[in-house]
Order: sequence, then structure tokens, then C-alpha cells
Amino acid sequence: MIGDALLQKSELQSRGNCGNFLDMKVALSQISSVLGDVKKNFHTHLKYIDRAKKEKADLLIFPELSLTGYTLKDLVPDVAISPDKNPLFTELKLLSKDISLVLGFVEEKDKGLYYNSSAYLSGGRILHIHRKVYLPTYGMFEEAKFYGQGKNFKTFQTPFGKTGMLICYDFLHYSSSYVLFAGGSEIIIVLSAAPGRGMSDEENYASSYMWELMGESISRFSTAFLIYCNRVGFEDGKSFAGGSFIYAPSGQLLAKAPYTDENFLVMEIDLKQIREYRKKWPYRRDDKPEVILAALQRAVTSYED
Amino acid sequence: MKINGPFVEKILIRFIQEELHKFGFKKGILGLSGGLDSTVCAFLAAKALSPENVTALIMPYRATFSDDLKDAKSIIHLLDIRSKIIDISPMVDAYFSIHPTENKILRGNKMARERMCILYDYSAREKALILGTSNKTELLLGYGTIHGDMASGINPLGDLYKTQIRQLALHLKVPEEIRKKTPTAGLWKGQTDEKELGIPYDEIDAILFQLVDKRKSKNDVISLGFKKEYVEKIIRLIKDSEFKRKLPPIPKISERTVGHDFLFPYDWDK
Repeated sequence: MIGDALLQKSELQSRGNCGNFLDMKVALSQISSVLGDVKKNFHTHLKYIDRAKKEKADLLIFPELSLTGYTLKDLVPDVAISPDKNPLFTELKLLSKDISLVLGFVEEKDKGLYYNSSAYLSGGRILHIHRKVYLPTYGMFEEAKFYGQGKNFKTFQTPFGKTGMLICYDFLHYSSSYVLFAGGSEIIIVLSAAPGRGMSDEENYASSYMWELMGESISRFSTAFLIYCNRVGFEDGKSFAGGSFIYAPSGQLLAKAPYTDENFLVMEIDLKQIREYRKKWPYRRDDKPEVILAALQRAVTSYED
Repeated sequence: MKINGPFVEKILIRFIQEELHKFGFKKGILGLSGGLDSTVCAFLAAKALSPENVTALIMPYRATFSDDLKDAKSIIHLLDIRSKIIDISPMVDAYFSIHPTENKILRGNKMARERMCILYDYSAREKALILGTSNKTELLLGYGTIHGDMASGINPLGDLYKTQIRQLALHLKVPEEIRKKTPTAGLWKGQTDEKELGIPYDEIDAILFQLVDKRKSKNDVISLGFKKEYVEKIIRLIKDSEFKRKLPPIPKISERTVGHDFLFPYDWDK
């Protein structure tokens, strides 16, 4: 029975049919990357892909910049990849015939133009590349010094439904999620390399709460699945906080990985919940993107220099 | 200011383990004074690396601090870590017999740097990474000897105020006699941090927490009820010690310069 269902899934995937699944198995790799060593990180990816396939996962998600590590600074050009001509991506594309993959990397889009990007691979192809729009450049962050700025939040079709990707700080700007919602996203995937900050009474960093708060709110008010994959490990003393999670379209927490520990989380999610909750809470039906667009236009026009 | 003991312990232990692993070390080494900070660091190192991979150097000058020596020995016994006592009197006295001074600060700094020299020498002999023991209060006030006790390979305690280290010590079950000791830089007999700084640690940390962690302005902090003279003194100490927290400036001449635009992570390829 399970075998039949899987066969059907892979057939659908190879035919490129979209959004026909009633449920899916999602795997999150809450890992630590080696800073600046793409080869080593690629092997870690292969290891986890293998593991996810054994678990019969349909989709495997890695954190932000999973192929390179985060605090790259002047290493950015050295580790950059152009996915269409890169042999590692050729291999990843092949692997994506069996399991859909989301991962983070430094993209050289045009010669000498680098982006903090994420790729969604499925059925042997790259379905979408998201380039991080909000590059944190304050306090301990300096991304805008090293990366070009992405210019879009796009919803794209996947075998499991309409999907959107965000990278870390993108997600802390709620307008990013709104654009994905307005674009019809049913699944929002956030890749993150969020360092922990601040003391908490609990056994975690105070900053983990802000991601969870956003996860719960965005999933509930977008009536969409919200999948957040954060990394762990240290880079230059910064400790990435882990605590990856999945929220249902109801805003209910479905799964949460431990804070700061490496983890591999596998969760079956019921895609029917999207329809169920959109019937009950018609936020999507009642959304008025044209009103928002016009109002934004007026707000922007009235900005004073 | 309250910390979660188990969480901070976990983060610091993992930090020590990961950093040593990344840089190819199995062993750690630290200077153990018998005071609270180096004791807490020794406790963490013993847990992170297992006791046989931790070496504590006790480096007394003459018989100035016999109580500290006794405490340091008892910690070594308690943790079952490796240790060595190296008397720094011959080296320090040799220098001051040629360049005599009674200036306590000059003498104290010389001793702190002598200890640093020995730590680096033993670090190389034993292939052990130096674990620093400077806390956040000292780092912010510049209350330490540059290239002396402020020098290290990694500094696990650098983001904890003195009062938070006391909380961590309690959680780690550091013996009470060490937790209750009066903090001293150990530069001369009878020196205490609080006497020298002129402000009690609780108050120093509370003010630093508002200024640094909470990013409050001087006037905001004063309006919270802290003494104006204390707040002003602390701000002055922070400003005057920025040089201790930075690499020395390099005049820019070329197209790409160390410290300006040659920007690589510390954990490069690690």
C-alpha cells in the first residue's frame, strides 16, 4: 500500500504534475556546515539525502548557506556556484528525481555578482532559486557588504503544492511572507542560519522565541504550512540556535527540533489541512492584494526624503 | 542578568569542544590562580575535554598569595586535572633587579605577562590551546593586562559578567570558599577589584548591562537610579580601554590591508 503510494508519487513527480499529493513526508537537516569547504559540506548533504531516502521522505530541507557555512566574508567569491554549470548541482539534480531538495548556497548569478541563495530541486530540475532580499547588515551581521540583494518573493509550483522560500532575515520582515501568501503559497519554507542571542529563563536563547512567534503567526494567518530549518554549531564564537520547526495551517506546532543540537527531523504532514483551514478561515479568499498594492504605492509616494 | 545555568554550561562546553576540534587540538591549558574565573574555566574545560586533557598552570610570585595557591591545588585535586606549579619569581626578579621599580602596576603587569609567556610556551610544548579566563566585566572596563591575562586562544567566559560567573559557579558546584572569595586581579597583596575600581561588582555589572546589553544612554542609566559618578566612571573606563579589545591600527597604504579590507573569518576552513 505504502509502496503503491510512493510509486504514484514518483510517477507524478516525473510527469511534472503538481499539487496532487494528500500528504507528504518532510525531513529537516539541522546541521552544522564547515566554513568555506563546499566539498565537505556536499558530502554531508549526500549523507543526509541518503538518510532521508531511507526514511522515505518526499522533501529534504537544509539550512541557509548549507553548502558553504555562514560567516564567509571575503571567501564569498571562492565558494560561489553557478548552478547550471556546476557538477555538484548536476549530481543534486539527479538525486532530486528520488527526493525533492531545498538547500542554501552562494550563487554567482552573473559574473562577479554573488547572492545568498536557496534552491528547490525536484524531479531532476531546479524548480526555483530564491535570492535573499533582506540582507542583515547591523550589529554582528554584515551580509550586504558581500552579497547582492535579491529582488523577488516568488511562489512556484511543486509536486506538493504552491511553495515559497525565504532565507532567514527575509522571514523577520512579515511583508515577505505576505507576498508569498498573496502569490498563493501553501507551503512556506524558511532556511535559516540564525545565531542565538540573549539570555532566557529556559534552556535556550531568548531570540529563538521570535522565530517561533513568527512561525505560528504566519502559518495561521496564511493558512499555510510553515517549515523553518535552522542550523547549529559555532562560527567565530556565534552559536547557531537550531530549534527548527513545522507549523500547520491552523497555527498548530507539528514538530520542533531541539535547540543548539544537531538533529534530523522527519514529519508526515497532511496537505488536506490547507483546504480544510482555508474553508474555515477564508483569509486567502478575502485577501485584497490590489488594495494593498495601491495603498503601498500611496504610502511609498508620500515618503519624505 | 539572570542566566540559565544548564544552558550556559552546555553552550560553553560545546564551544570549547568545537573550537579545539576545529583547530586540531585535543588538549587545553589555562592559568589557574585559585580565583573564581579561572576555577570556573577549569570546571568547564574538565567537563568539555575530560580531566586528563586539561593542564592547569599555577604560577605564583613568591609567597604573596599562599591562600590562592592552596585553593588552586584543591581545585586540581577535585577536578583531577593535570597541573604544574611554576614559580615566576626568578624571571620577574631578574628583570626588576636590572630595571627596579616600586610601581605596583608596572610590577603587576610584568607578572601577568610573565605568566602569559609561560602559558604560550607550555601551549606549544603540550600542543594545548590556551583557554582565557577574562570575563565580560573585565573586558569592558579594560581591567586586565593587555598581552598578559587578556591573551588567550579562545575565551569561553568573555560574554559573562562577573556576577553571572558567580551564578554559573553555583550551578557547576564550585566549592563555596572559592565562590565567596573577594575578587582580585592578584597584582599585589591586599589588592581587591572593588577597592581599586571603587564600585561594588553588583553595581558595575548592573550599569554595564544597561549601557551595553540594553544600549541605554548615560542619562537613561542615571535616571534608573544609578549614581552619576559611577556611571560616568564606567563609561570613561570603557572608552579608555577600547585599544585593549582591538588589534593595533595599521595605516592603510595598499589596495588591500590586514584589518581593513582583508576580511576572513576566524574559523576559516574549519
